[in-house]
Amino acid sequence: MADRIFAAITLLVVMAYGWVAFMMIKAPFQYDPLGPESWPRILSIAAGLCCLWIIVKPTVNAFDITRHALVRVSLMTLFLVGYAYLFEHAGFIISTALYCGASARLLGGTIKQAVIFGLATSLIGYFVSVKLLELNLPAGIFKNLI
Amino acid sequence: MDVILSGLGQGFAVALQPFNLLLVFVGCFLGTLIGALPGIGPINGIAILLPIAYSLNFPPESALILLAGIYYGAEYGGRISSILLNVPGDAGAVMTALDGSPMAKRGEAGRALSLSGIVSFVGGAFALVLMTLFAPLLAAFAVKFSPADYVALMVFAFTSLAALVGKSAVKTLLAALLGFMIASIGVDANTGVMRFTFGSPDLMAGIDFLVIVIGLFGIAELLHLVESHARGTLKTLKVDKTFTSWADLMAVKWVMLRSSLIGFIVGVLPGTGASVASAVSYGVEKRLAGESGKNFGHGDIRGLAAPETANNAAAGGAMVPMLTLGIPGSGTTAILLGALLLFNVTPGPLMFEQKPEIAWGLIASMYIGNVALLLINLPLVGFFARLLTVPQQYLTPMIALLAFIGVYSVVGNPFDLYVAIGLGVLGWILRKLDFSLAPVILGVVLGNVFEDNLRRALSMSGGDWSILLQSTNSWLLYGLTFLVLVLPLIIAYRKRKAQLISV
Repeated sequence: MADRIFAAITLLVVMAYGWVAFMMIKAPFQYDPLGPESWPRILSIAAGLCCLWIIVKPTVNAFDITRHALVRVSLMTLFLVGYAYLFEHAGFIISTALYCGASARLLGGTIKQAVIFGLATSLIGYFVSVKLLELNLPAGIFKNLI
Repeated sequence: MDVILSGLGQGFAVALQPFNLLLVFVGCFLGTLIGALPGIGPINGIAILLPIAYSLNFPPESALILLAGIYYGAEYGGRISSILLNVPGDAGAVMTALDGSPMAKRGEAGRALSLSGIVSFVGGAFALVLMTLFAPLLAAFAVKFSPADYVALMVFAFTSLAALVGKSAVKTLLAALLGFMIASIGVDANTGVMRFTFGSPDLMAGIDFLVIVIGLFGIAELLHLVESHARGTLKTLKVDKTFTSWADLMAVKWVMLRSSLIGFIVGVLPGTGASVASAVSYGVEKRLAGESGKNFGHGDIRGLAAPETANNAAAGGAMVPMLTLGIPGSGTTAILLGALLLFNVTPGPLMFEQKPEIAWGLIASMYIGNVALLLINLPLVGFFARLLTVPQQYLTPMIALLAFIGVYSVVGNPFDLYVAIGLGVLGWILRKLDFSLAPVILGVVLGNVFEDNLRRALSMSGGDWSILLQSTNSWLLYGLTFLVLVLPLIIAYRKRKAQLISV
């Protein structure tokens, strides 16, 4: 079942991709016999056939996951999105401290461990990356301080 | 022969520069460290560290020496978590756990680790020598390849991928096609036409290779670790004082030789890397051992030596098609190929002529690295083993931290952080459904090469598809493709027949 659902969703994506390839992509004039549209067309047909095959003959039936694990994975995904958002808007140090702290807590650390870990990774991470390796990271609100 | 000797000379001149020599050691050390961490294999390690290595602004040969060091270092280190934790870092180390872990449980962890360290060295060194001999030959042969030949080569590569990798050929094929589709996003290089960008400037240049790699292998791995953490805890065994003996090594000398050869050949085959090599060599040794092989799976040293030799030999073998044809032999070398492209180095037959300092420098650095790994691994194995006890709650967030630093410092566009997370979730789901991720990344790396060569071939013939079948080389490659398709069927058929008779 899991396979079929995944293949069906993929098939929809592939059909959308194919629709764009067949209907939308056109070169202003023909440079080469295939043009920019043939390759995506071939891909969409081949991928569509693979999806159909999987729908007819699926190999994985159950999406093997416990409720507990699914909650953890979803929470982690949310944390990551939050991390990405704060990374841009609040800067590396704040976002990393929050993300690493929250993840450490989620994965079984005590509150004290989480706080120390969050602070340590954000500060050490920032100084190693920016000062030592000269990488470009968003300074955020500490821009004027550092 | 002269070409090889002068090439090697030039290569060692590059690799022995103090800075590059340092990078070899740093790379090998980091690689072993990453390989030793439970659940993180070579492919994830390189994926996570590639953007950072790229943004350090080293000269290309130095950055590649570093990445290559991480690559085979991780292949070495993978055995540590297999043996002590029974948790293979990647598919290539699964077989090592079969006999390595029982040995550790019976109090011979030190013996298992030292023996596997030495056979890894033998496998790696063997593959390197073969690589030095064959790479220039293959390159010289491939220089004459026409676009149509490249199309045939691609067909061969993806057929052997579908036939040999993963549990389901259709799924492997679909995974590769998804990779092709991802690669087709962005401006078409030949005509300047936008494809699948939906007017978004963020997608004009396509999805950055680094973002795809970080998403599919970094973030997806992180989610996988979170999931396996939620399911239970891991238990580490201690390294003891036992050490391998000369008698052990003598007992496996033919195993080492056979497994090196098998590993190298499987490694060279496009698309199939360490995981297939270790599985094949384990199977062969088990069959050859006959009656005495009933101990396989319960801590037989041959069962430990075979896959460990083979996966390191395959790691070297997989570099051959990557360097000489521009077709990676495995998922991990696909990432290395992407790394070369980032540095504006196009791997392929011409690299040995145009950028010998990179091609030969890399090969020479691998000689040094192999020795370095043996030196690092034997005495320091206790140190790496202690890393296994680093709690997951610290290890897992570090992956995201490194991934974000990498994506942001190279690409500098916050949009890509979300793309990486999205691809990570996709990668996690794909893994849950028994898709392997290596074909996706091979598809991404080779998608444009495949398309370009197909279009170029048809431009030459004015749209006549029969050009694809006109050269000897392409016929040879289609013949090989046919063999790859048919051989597994014949073997399966004979096996079934043999079983029927024995029943």
